Amino acid sequence: MPLKTVKKDTAEAQTLEWILQVQDYKLTLDKNRCVGCQICSLACPKEAIKVQKQPKIQGQKAKKAKIDVELAKCNFCGICDVTCPYGAIRVTMNGEHLLSVVEKKSFPQLIRDIKVNPENHAPGFVGTSRPCPIDLIKLTFITPEGKPIEKTSVSVPAEVGFRAKIDVDKEHCPCCRVCEFTMPPGVMHVRKFISGRISIHPERCPEGCTDCLDVCPITGALYLSDDRRKVNANEIFCVYCGACKAVCPVDGALELSRTAVNHTPVHSGTWNKALERLTSPTEMTKELKTKSSFRARESVKRRVGRAVE
Amino acid sequence: MPRKAAQKDTKAGPRKGRHIAKKSSPKDEGPRIGVFVCECGSNISSVINTVEIASYAKKLSNVVYATNTNYPCSSQGQKEIVKAIKDEKLNRVVVAGCSPRLYEPVFQRCVSQADLNPWLFEMANIREFSSYCHKNDPKEATRKAKDIVKMAVAKARLLEPLKSIEMPITKKAMVIGGGIAGINAALDLADMGFKVYMVEKTETIGGYMALLDKTFPTLDCSICIEGPKMVDVGRHPNIEIISYADVLKVEGSVGNFRVRVRKNPRYVIAANCTGCGECREACPIEYPNYADMYLGVRKAISAPFGQAVPLTHTINKDYCIECYKCVDACGARQAINFDQKPEEVDINVGAIIVSIGYDMYNPKDMEWTGYGKFANVFTALEFERLILAAGPTGGKVVRASDGQKPHSIAFIQCVGSRDINKYEYCSSFCCMYTLKHAVMLKEKYREGIDVYVFYNDMRSNFKGYEEFFNRAQKSGVKFIRVKLDKRCIAEDPQTQNLTVTGETEDGKPVQANVEMVVLANAAIPQVGADKLAELLGIPVGKDGFFIECQPKIRPTDTENPGIFLAGACQGLKDIPYSVAHGSAAAAQAAAVLGKDKWLVEPLVARVNEDLCSGCRICESACGYHAIMVEKVGKRDVAKVAEGLCRGCGVCSSACPMDAITMPNYSDVQIVAQIKAVSTEAAKT
Repeated sequence: MPLKTVKKDTAEAQTLEWILQVQDYKLTLDKNRCVGCQICSLACPKEAIKVQKQPKIQGQKAKKAKIDVELAKCNFCGICDVTCPYGAIRVTMNGEHLLSVVEKKSFPQLIRDIKVNPENHAPGFVGTSRPCPIDLIKLTFITPEGKPIEKTSVSVPAEVGFRAKIDVDKEHCPCCRVCEFTMPPGVMHVRKFISGRISIHPERCPEGCTDCLDVCPITGALYLSDDRRKVNANEIFCVYCGACKAVCPVDGALELSRTAVNHTPVHSGTWNKALERLTSPTEMTKELKTKSSFRARESVKRRVGRAVE
Repeated sequence: MPRKAAQKDTKAGPRKGRHIAKKSSPKDEGPRIGVFVCECGSNISSVINTVEIASYAKKLSNVVYATNTNYPCSSQGQKEIVKAIKDEKLNRVVVAGCSPRLYEPVFQRCVSQADLNPWLFEMANIREFSSYCHKNDPKEATRKAKDIVKMAVAKARLLEPLKSIEMPITKKAMVIGGGIAGINAALDLADMGFKVYMVEKTETIGGYMALLDKTFPTLDCSICIEGPKMVDVGRHPNIEIISYADVLKVEGSVGNFRVRVRKNPRYVIAANCTGCGECREACPIEYPNYADMYLGVRKAISAPFGQAVPLTHTINKDYCIECYKCVDACGARQAINFDQKPEEVDINVGAIIVSIGYDMYNPKDMEWTGYGKFANVFTALEFERLILAAGPTGGKVVRASDGQKPHSIAFIQCVGSRDINKYEYCSSFCCMYTLKHAVMLKEKYREGIDVYVFYNDMRSNFKGYEEFFNRAQKSGVKFIRVKLDKRCIAEDPQTQNLTVTGETEDGKPVQANVEMVVLANAAIPQVGADKLAELLGIPVGKDGFFIECQPKIRPTDTENPGIFLAGACQGLKDIPYSVAHGSAAAAQAAAVLGKDKWLVEPLVARVNEDLCSGCRICESACGYHAIMVEKVGKRDVAKVAEGLCRGCGVCSSACPMDAITMPNYSDVQIVAQIKAVSTEAAKT
């Protein structure tokens, strides 16, 4: 059987495949999870991913940008899979989700630092019915008899002895920290894996334009001003994915920069280049410097037998 | 081969000989012409009255001697010619016989023995031009032969003595293409003591043979018998392998070629790479491997297969993500250089052997085969990688659809070949490799597999092949003879099993339900063969393979002296034939390289610098870059590179100033021939 290369595009997903006699590589882009941000296209070492702005229809909300993976350029390395903040891309080999780039330490994994303390779920707390803007948190209460009760509301039953059970779909979590505020204090602790800055210059925004807000997947990261005429940004919730930037119609109205990415330690040219594109050459150099000073410290430690500060 | 001037455009009418060549005759005598009319057994004399021709010739002016003789080309016949030259003091000789293509050099050597300049010999072809084509009209044939002889005599009167041009010889050779034919050619030449450059397009030498499992009819392991030869090439002190390289330009002529080769970047420094494979282990990226016919994968830094020569790894930048894990793994060897650039080198050689092999036709566009559509339809080379123990499946013959061993296989012969709509020729080795596959399956799985061969003719000539066919028949392979245009393959979408249907020679339908199909797809000319042919100045046939000089007796020479053909690029060949062809080409090349000087026939264009206006029309007319306008003093004048000139006469015809003449094909000589045949023809 000759090599088959397949690309399929449906409303639900885009799939790319290399089908060989003994191996099968598959990339699946889940369009429901994809928010049309810029992360994968910046991280892709083969420049195989394009972010296509969708035409806006007058009177309708802006549509998120479309992510398109080019079959001829894609080598199924899985870096998009690793970096997607929303876990929308999955690369498999023979159906297994084993990423050689991670295994061989050619690319780091993002650190999704999410701590859940269900015991802190205060009795009687009345929160929102939707603790996670992209519905990754499943809250269940367990009766003292050990029976689960699923609740659509997060108000804890008054009965004493009920335990909260919180399941977080960490794989798809962009670490926006919204749950820290929607859940009782101390239940959730989330550290962002991308740090950065976002600012909107309202004077440059077209009158009445809310395109960025329309596409932002994180409730509260962008919000309308009190006079409901301008969009503002909230750094606490923004994950710096750039979905807003991808649709902004005016240059310089929305400024977004990423400064660091929290990742497992790695020594790889691919990562350095990805980081350079995701952040900036300066930020990448900073990380390199930190790394080398760390290594220098390690080597001193090895020689003198103790840490020297 | 004597180079013949192209036929002058006679429509333009005879040119005025403005610069009439001096009548050159040795020893200041007028021409004394001897005419020898060959009977050629009965080839000529059964149609043409050779006695009449001889007596006619005798009456022509300047002819002092004429005779008819049975075989002037025989040693006895040649002795007679030498004797006549001496006795009759002949200073011109005409032989009326066969084609000068075959016998002119023989007679030129013959007249030289009598101390006559070989270019004072002229041949009149009364066999191909008269006796052969006018068999049924002896009278007219004889009359035409008279005209031919008369023209030859008219030209002979004006012949001038010429001296061969001596060219020095670079005692090195280049072999383009490192398949089994090229490997043998290179090893033979290197063993004879000549330096050989082996230029290979891919990363490794070995060609298709290195990808095969077994070889027919002995079922030897292919790489086991080719591997040692590949290693010998790699280690030979006289051979330099230039792999992963392209030929960009070929200049010069026999004895002195200059070939520009581009070494493509591997991003690995060959001198530092030990082929240890540690970089390969560290590399995270895989891509479909051509050497496995894309059934399996290889790493972005790797060699195509374990026995590759050279074993220098190559980074495929189309897939590499530049993580530099390979650089870490390589460590102190420092063999990896991501900044490597293509490098162009000029190599001077005296002879070139072209052995670029063949390619395989992709039967995707033959819809009846279902190839590319049905998962369990394979090409023969894919099957070869499947059955190979070192292949991607570890030698397990399994279906692509479910990974299961098939219980029945059909082999379909002549897919693309012997098809006037695709490739008219027979691919020559498919019958035998199909027998090989069939026998291997039967001997491996015995009763566990049904093997069908849908064929039209089984071509098992050559040593041991017919016996192998018998072995296949005895082993229980079912041979089904079908018409080539009535075959079809259909798939059951549920099981993905296949149904092969056909029609026997007497019109009966035949059918086999099988779990796998293997197509014997056509072998086709190598991609880029036509481009290389253009660079080398060698002709390509309508089938796309290079044309040899003479199909029977000069199968390795090309029309361009010093360039030889080896292996399947000249026409499809199996391994033993390619090996022999490679060695034959090496012997031919050695015959050139072994000489101290190369003698070029003096039939090259001559420029009368006084007449030349430097208009450069000749430059663009010349197909061999043999004539260039240069500055001579203040004037632009055309100069001929004698080594390159093929004596075709195109420049001479194109020259508006009549400044270019072709020795022994001058306007004066040709006009004399035309006059001879047109003015007095009716009288005799």
